[in-house]
Amino acid sequence: MKATRKWILQRLSSLIIAPLIVWFYVSLISLSTKNYSDAVVFFKNPLFAILTIILIFIGFFHARIGLNEIFEDYIHNKKIKDVANILALVSSIIIPVITLFLLIYKI
Amino acid sequence: MKDNKNPLSPHIQIYRWHISSLLSITHRISGILNFLGLILIFFWLLMLSFEESNYEMFLLIINNFIGQFILIGFTWSMTFHLLSGIRHLVWDMGYGFEIKTANRSGIIVILSSLILTTFFWLFGKGYI
Repeated sequence: MKATRKWILQRLSSLIIAPLIVWFYVSLISLSTKNYSDAVVFFKNPLFAILTIILIFIGFFHARIGLNEIFEDYIHNKKIKDVANILALVSSIIIPVITLFLLIYKI
Repeated sequence: MKDNKNPLSPHIQIYRWHISSLLSITHRISGILNFLGLILIFFWLLMLSFEESNYEMFLLIINNFIGQFILIGFTWSMTFHLLSGIRHLVWDMGYGFEIKTANRSGIIVILSSLILTTFFWLFGKGYI
């Protein structure tokens, strides 16, 4: 990805995550005081499920760009840096995809 | 011998912290913590997709002292990163670069992150 593109996407993604993450954290704090079926009902709500998926996908995307930036500054060994970047990329794709699967089929 | 008044900073152990540098590094650290927070969210949903007994056990863990401490920590790192991020966006638009303004906005970010964390927890737990 080109640096300018990264810079813009990092900021655009932050605008999407900002409201969602506040809603989601407050919801999780609330769910922590409730039981299993309350949590299942919450995530079975189609709107909440869709918002959760958007948050997870864009959240990990935003995290990946941020991690790339940090690796760029602090990891000086190119091979280790490449591996770290690949790990960030892979986890930012696999975790959201599994989450999508869980929300559709398992919860 | 005359007093040597040459500044010794920056040096890693005697570095004089400024609000600007403190917030800069904390923005990065909180970003990494939020990445871990996202993984915890994933783990939460994973536990929910297993049997009820597993989820109940997960609830017990997050509701004990250490669990609550960790969750509050993640909430703080989220609110801090969010507010500090807004500060960065304002800079991107070309405002707030004066030293006085930047210091003031930095202090506002630190204090607001603590207030917001408290507010989110009181709200989430149903106290307000």
